[in-house]
Amino acid sequence: MEEVWKEINLASLHDNSSSREGLNPDNPHFILQDFLARPFSKDPPANRVSANGDTTFLVSPPPPPPATLLSLNSGPGFDFLDNSCPLRSKPRLQMQNNPISDLPNMNCPFEALASPSGLACFDKKRFQDPDNNSGDRRHKRMIKNRESAARSRARKQAYTNELELEVAHLMEENARLKRQQEQQLRVAAATPLSGKRTLQRTSTAPF
Amino acid sequence: MPRDRDPLVVGRVIGDVLDPFTRSISLRVTYATRDVNNGVELKPSQVVNQPRVDIGGDDLRTFYTLVMVDPDAPSPSDPNLREYLHWLVTDIPATTGASFGQEVVCYESPRPTVGIHRFVFVLFRQLGRQTVYAPGWRQNFNTRDFAELYNLGLPVAAVYFNCQRESGSGGRRT
Repeated sequence: MEEVWKEINLASLHDNSSSREGLNPDNPHFILQDFLARPFSKDPPANRVSANGDTTFLVSPPPPPPATLLSLNSGPGFDFLDNSCPLRSKPRLQMQNNPISDLPNMNCPFEALASPSGLACFDKKRFQDPDNNSGDRRHKRMIKNRESAARSRARKQAYTNELELEVAHLMEENARLKRQQEQQLRVAAATPLSGKRTLQRTSTAPF
Repeated sequence: MPRDRDPLVVGRVIGDVLDPFTRSISLRVTYATRDVNNGVELKPSQVVNQPRVDIGGDDLRTFYTLVMVDPDAPSPSDPNLREYLHWLVTDIPATTGASFGQEVVCYESPRPTVGIHRFVFVLFRQLGRQTVYAPGWRQNFNTRDFAELYNLGLPVAAVYFNCQRESGSGGRRT
């Protein structure tokens, strides 16, 4: 993962004049606007590495701050969020704007990510790369579906297990009650029958 | 039953809401005539009113707390309101039922809108009679933290059911 990261940094350094501290992604103050301010056309190779297929490099926490900057193209960014919180899958736009709440330990780059600029970058990315966006949407959908399927399987299995437990429990109870009943019948059969013909003593006279 | 076959584990109730525990007190939850067994599916119309809750134990001087939460609010795929508190009853004497306790948070009928939700009943043993303060709001309740705050320890019983919106078509196709 670190190698990928270095690759990207080197590539972007080649593209930009590294003399200006502001454009160096390693600078922790490299904010979103700076990132967007970079020459449009020079974006391709470096970011594609991170944005495209390699969705795994953000998995190991904690990611370096620039990694989340590059996650503007929602692929890796989404996966980061997804991996940190497997049950969640936020819609794209929300994801762009909410990293603050999700990742409170991120430093200043994301404080600059106010709503308008988040939207702006959303649009810019779309303009730049429509194929990747629908691919990401599909990817996201697939993950959501997988989770839903897993929940469904878990639900089914849990209910089945519960039923098996119930059956075992009820069979046991049934056996116990039958034994009990049998016992009682035996006891009843052993004692002499008290029928209607048995004479009984009663007191009818007051004295 | 080995731990990993326990319906509470398989259904992720232990994990999402509770830590592993050993059942020691019987807990029987009944909606009208339907007993709640783990993982049964009930409709919102069947759970509109609070259920009958009978607990076990043997000493009337031991008190229990009952918590009912929805860990899948508002939707199981995005449970950002986990857990939603539906009911909170304290000071329930052993061998009796929820109607003998103190209702700290009144029963709110489950009304899931998206997805199939789990609704979990958890029973804790109290150290003694205690004052429990209702949280400010029902959402984002945390059963673990609540238990820690009031020194309730691990649960003594738990059961859950599934519920989706009345006209929902998810789940089993029978």
